[in-house]
Amino acid sequence: MLETIEKPAEDKSNRLGITRVGGRLISEYWEDLFTARERGKKIVWYNGGALNPMFQAAGLAWCHGEAFAARLAAQRVEGPAQLAGAEYGYNAELCSYSRTHLGCSVLTLQGTEGDQTGVVGAHDQEVLAAKLPAPDFFVNNYAGCSTGQQWDGISYRVFGKKLPIFNISHPFLWGNRPDAGYLRGEEWEDASKFVAEQLRNLIEFLEQQTGRPFDHDALCESMTHIKRAAELRREGLALCKAKPAPATFWDWIASVAPINFLPGNQELVDYFAAVRDEISDRIDNGVSAVKDEKYRLYFDGIMNWNKLGFLSRKFAEHGVAVLAGRYIQNAFWQEPHLIDTSDPILGMAQHYLLCPTNHGAKTLEYLTLRDCEEYGLDGLVFHSTRTCRAFTGPQRLLAKAAQDKLGIPSIFFEGDVADASFYKDGILESRLVAMLEAIDVRRERGALPDGFSAIA
Amino acid sequence: MTDASSAAMAKLVEVARDPRVYIEQWRSGHAGRPVLAILPMNFPRELAHAAGALPVIVQDDQQPITEGRALLAEFYCGYTRNLADQVATGRFDVYDGVFQADHCIQLIGSADIVRSLKPDTTVFLGMLNTSMNDPWAPRQVSAMMRRIRAEIEAFTGNPVELGTLRDSIGAYNRDRALIRRLLDERATGNAAFGPVELQDIITSSMVMDPVEHHALLTDVLLEPRRSERDDRVRVHLSGHLCHAPRRELLEVIEDSGAAVVDDDLYHGRRYVSTDVAETGDPVEALGEWYARRNVTIPCPTRVQQDVDWDGYLVDAVRVSAAEAVIHLVPKFCEPHMLYYPELRKRLDAAGIPQLQIETEHEGIPLESFRTRIETLVERARRRRPVHV
Ligand code: SF4
Ligand code: SF4
Repeated sequence: MLETIEKPAEDKSNRLGITRVGGRLISEYWEDLFTARERGKKIVWYNGGALNPMFQAAGLAWCHGEAFAARLAAQRVEGPAQLAGAEYGYNAELCSYSRTHLGCSVLTLQGTEGDQTGVVGAHDQEVLAAKLPAPDFFVNNYAGCSTGQQWDGISYRVFGKKLPIFNISHPFLWGNRPDAGYLRGEEWEDASKFVAEQLRNLIEFLEQQTGRPFDHDALCESMTHIKRAAELRREGLALCKAKPAPATFWDWIASVAPINFLPGNQELVDYFAAVRDEISDRIDNGVSAVKDEKYRLYFDGIMNWNKLGFLSRKFAEHGVAVLAGRYIQNAFWQEPHLIDTSDPILGMAQHYLLCPTNHGAKTLEYLTLRDCEEYGLDGLVFHSTRTCRAFTGPQRLLAKAAQDKLGIPSIFFEGDVADASFYKDGILESRLVAMLEAIDVRRERGALPDGFSAIA
Repeated sequence: MTDASSAAMAKLVEVARDPRVYIEQWRSGHAGRPVLAILPMNFPRELAHAAGALPVIVQDDQQPITEGRALLAEFYCGYTRNLADQVATGRFDVYDGVFQADHCIQLIGSADIVRSLKPDTTVFLGMLNTSMNDPWAPRQVSAMMRRIRAEIEAFTGNPVELGTLRDSIGAYNRDRALIRRLLDERATGNAAFGPVELQDIITSSMVMDPVEHHALLTDVLLEPRRSERDDRVRVHLSGHLCHAPRRELLEVIEDSGAAVVDDDLYHGRRYVSTDVAETGDPVEALGEWYARRNVTIPCPTRVQQDVDWDGYLVDAVRVSAAEAVIHLVPKFCEPHMLYYPELRKRLDAAGIPQLQIETEHEGIPLESFRTRIETLVERARRRRPVHV
């Protein structure tokens, strides 16, 4: 059934201006990638953790599969790729990142018959609004989600099993041992070493693919910039604990791409410095991200890329500042202190393992409740991300823990990362309103636990 | 059929259809010994058996999902939602601990539900390397097998002696070999058992002590059966990882003019595909078993570039002379959904008729399946050579 999605009446969101600069950097990156082959660059397709500093140091052009699918969805031009995927046989219940990207693979192959320009089927360019060059090889770096890992195994097959592929195995941080916990315990240490060793093997693989020695200095330099950008990002995130909030989750969503796959360079550092500074200025000048902020919520789930602007306006319309989320606080170089810039491999391995789908529910509970407390949140919104079982698996447990341990309510709504058809606006609207009313009632009764007092 | 063989078959059917009764019986005869819930598909049960435990592969118990709905999203596969439901409603309480070695994210998700609802129960995940081609994979797998051995020893309080482990390996091998013989006979045209009976035989072997199962199955075979050869269309059933397809569905397949001659189901050939070497270090042998299993019948949950499920399928079809393939895809099973187009493409190229059937935990539309299967049968029939 089609639902009419109405625009919120008044836009009460006040998004950071600087993210437009991020948008420009992202566009430039993709434009650069589309012409990379013409400039003699080899192209790697990869998935999962941010391996881009490795590729940057190896002199490659890189395409992150999820990022490309997310970009198509954000631009609402994912349709042709998904259709090509469906025609090829991918079921609509399959991870929409993977079937969008696999659909791109199919289109790429169709478009390269007879030539090697590697441009997604020329006839589809207009609708795709993108020109994805075919890969020279694949690297998979997916932690936590088996689908992510298998997806590249399938890409390899779709391209006729001719292109080299390198797969990194990530142990799931399950927490069998009594000493297990976030960033600690034997399991963490062993897994870190195992993944670091595979990254060293990846370097050898990259040397074979490029025919050049790997530039370790370039890796250190790129990771120095990324570490600094990540520190600035964390500083900015911490500033958002202020009441009212100077920036929201949606601003940080707009900054996912820069931290996740743009080149590690001074421009990246400058961007995150500017994000932090804009937030800091807003605090100094009493500017809030949501007009008349009344509620503060957590958002769990991968982003619904088709709906970024819409959701940011929708929550703001209800006076809701969405401030934290597993996808923001607990992903994307989120522990920069782990990076030793003179020898970054171990810290990189650890970040890949820290993917928020790679922890058992116990650790996720710790992280979620910690963030709820630190940001003074009133409730949680779970984006029941239809085709992403990795993210949705522990959501019911997290909702229960927040209720039992912090006394804060949650709602679930359905949507998807890159398939607009799963989003049900009516469900989100009615559940959100009901939860906000419940929060009002509890505030009147003064029943909120410490740290959750009403924002008058 | 003799009294002994029919009683033995009745017992296997009973165990397959209600493992809890068998578990309670076993428990009363083995005081103080634990019953372990084993989650599919790669855990080396031999290690648990050698430590004196009863390692039971948890079955999808076909009950409607009630409380489990509040624990896992509806778009998780039926098996994992059923597991969550078993835990939430106390049907899982027959087990003393949970052991798995796998890497399907949905299975890990459901194991996390078990851990959360039963915080005092050991729920162990052994991360066997999924990337099978890496030069470091054997080392990693063998380290994990040693780790699993240590976990089992700690849990049961019993050492896993190498001699005892060899005995357990031998016992499972014998049971597998006997089942495999039946599957091989079916593929060559002597279908001694129908697909429902075979499923009961295999499911009961996932539950029972292998020595006991082997003895009962041997009794069953005292009375050799030979099938009537008929002109039904020979089909290969493919897929259904982790749990058994519904018996009603198997019946509809055979009622629609098809005869199942082979399969790569987990509750079928996949489960018994590979034996563990009985010479050399038995713990190392379990690691090799894990690796070889994926070559014998490639699994879409593993990452291995040089083996292909689609290639396996085409070869298997040639060997059994199956005339069509029915893909049984449990709804929301991502490894299968991801791989399915490769299977389809390859079978199309080989000119093998095929049909995809998406199954659900509850409420499968049998009549619409029947129509589709009959159409497949018709298609396959039309391809038969015409004798004039
Ligand atoms: S299912 Fe989720 S975590 Fe897995 S590949 Fe898809 S989007 Fe990524
Ligand atoms: S492999 Fe498929 S059937 Fe098995 S648990 Fe995973 S999704 Fe479910």
